Amino acid sequence: MIKKGQYEDFFIVDADVHINETPEDLIPYCDLPWRKALEAIVNVPRRYLNIPGFAPQFSGNRPFWPGGFDKKTVNTPDQLREELTELGIDIAIIFPDNLLLIATFPQREYAAALARAYNAYLVDQWADKREGLKGLLLAAPQDPVDAAREINKYKDEEGIVGVYLPCGGLHTLWGHEMYNPIFEAAEAAGLPVIFHSVLTLNTAFPFNGLEQFETEFARHALAHSMSLMFNMLRLIETGVPVRYPNLKMCFIEGGISWVPYMSMRLDKEYMERRRYVQHLEKPPSHYIKNFYYGTQPIEEPENPGDLAKVIELYEGENTTMFASDWPHHDFDHPRAILNSGLSKEVKRKILGENALAFFDIDRQGKRMRSHDKKGILS
Amino acid sequence: MGRIFDVAAAQDIPLGTHKIVTVKGRTIGIFNIKGSYHALPNICPHQIGPLCEGKVSGTLYRDKKTWELHWTEEGEIVTCPWHGLEFRVQTGECLAYKQVKLRTYNVTQIDGRLLLEI
Repeated sequence: MIKKGQYEDFFIVDADVHINETPEDLIPYCDLPWRKALEAIVNVPRRYLNIPGFAPQFSGNRPFWPGGFDKKTVNTPDQLREELTELGIDIAIIFPDNLLLIATFPQREYAAALARAYNAYLVDQWADKREGLKGLLLAAPQDPVDAAREINKYKDEEGIVGVYLPCGGLHTLWGHEMYNPIFEAAEAAGLPVIFHSVLTLNTAFPFNGLEQFETEFARHALAHSMSLMFNMLRLIETGVPVRYPNLKMCFIEGGISWVPYMSMRLDKEYMERRRYVQHLEKPPSHYIKNFYYGTQPIEEPENPGDLAKVIELYEGENTTMFASDWPHHDFDHPRAILNSGLSKEVKRKILGENALAFFDIDRQGKRMRSHDKKGILS
Repeated sequence: MGRIFDVAAAQDIPLGTHKIVTVKGRTIGIFNIKGSYHALPNICPHQIGPLCEGKVSGTLYRDKKTWELHWTEEGEIVTCPWHGLEFRVQTGECLAYKQVKLRTYNVTQIDGRLLLEI
């Protein structure tokens, strides 16, 4: 790939880009009877991340705020590849747009059918279809057994490098034992899992309460990081990192400055309440330092050196991965890392090397399958 | 070999109880666990709380294979009354932070008296 100027020294992996999968896109991949449900919404009027029956938004009645800019979408692999190259990105990890909201559906079978359709569509049309486009399987939290089947079905696909665990509007937090089949399957397959949240108004905690705020400024400020914090806490409380010690986990789209807060806060609780989390072999900060984190939306402190301090606090030099969130409204250009006060070595890790290790791929995007190799040797 | 101090009559610290004594300006907890005597400094390394004034009880252990929860070490764990940090009385080990270990003192029983070596 040809890159210019400040990029040429850096191999850049982007841990989070979004493709705009529509009901029409998924119809050919969706099983009956749920295909009929998709066919019924083809002509329904839509707003951004707001399609009745596909991307349900309880916030649908909020006003269009005057001013601002238009939302962008990525609709073809060619478009995505071209835009990534423009951004200086070599490899990108694909997430959905509308199905960011899949966790909000109360219908188990429908959600599972949508996840199956998306996974089939992703593998057939996007993952590895252009240079450097890798995909994550979508796990519907409503049906963990079916999600585990999906992981087993696609685990050897060259274009698939992990499993996306939705957090937006999620009713039962990740960590509950009902999700064990997903964690078991992902660990056994050697695929990492990625927790990714999204803003929605919803009856599910902690999204209930966001309706108290009048503006997108306020709703968007904490929705993602709060959701990631609650899920992280639940994962630690129920011992997921202890039960699945070989499962790599990443938290994306909450920025990173909440991580030192959780690390210190949970250690403080642990001091007094170890008896409640007897399964932890070490203080919570140990597990938090072993999780991975996506940078976006990266904090941009007035003193650029403060970013390095935040990363130091959770020892994140090897666990922090650049994520752009392209093409969403709050995307980060790689420049946000390049212009930060981080050392060149740390920039190199955050921009690419950490993600290559996390997703277990080489610079061509080829899966290293270290897990399988370990299995053969042992 | 440290200095020996006669700190209490054995009958003053019956089975399953503990008592705080002061020796040369230090306060030390003497514990009778299953008939043998153990001693720890009455100082929690966290915020210097009076550790040995805490309750002696057991603790919870989760079997990592079966994920079953067990009650273990009954009568062997002292919990700091200030913030709940737990220590294994016989060894001084902190349960939460394995790298933290309190010093322990030898206690011997001779002619019904408890002799503390510091």
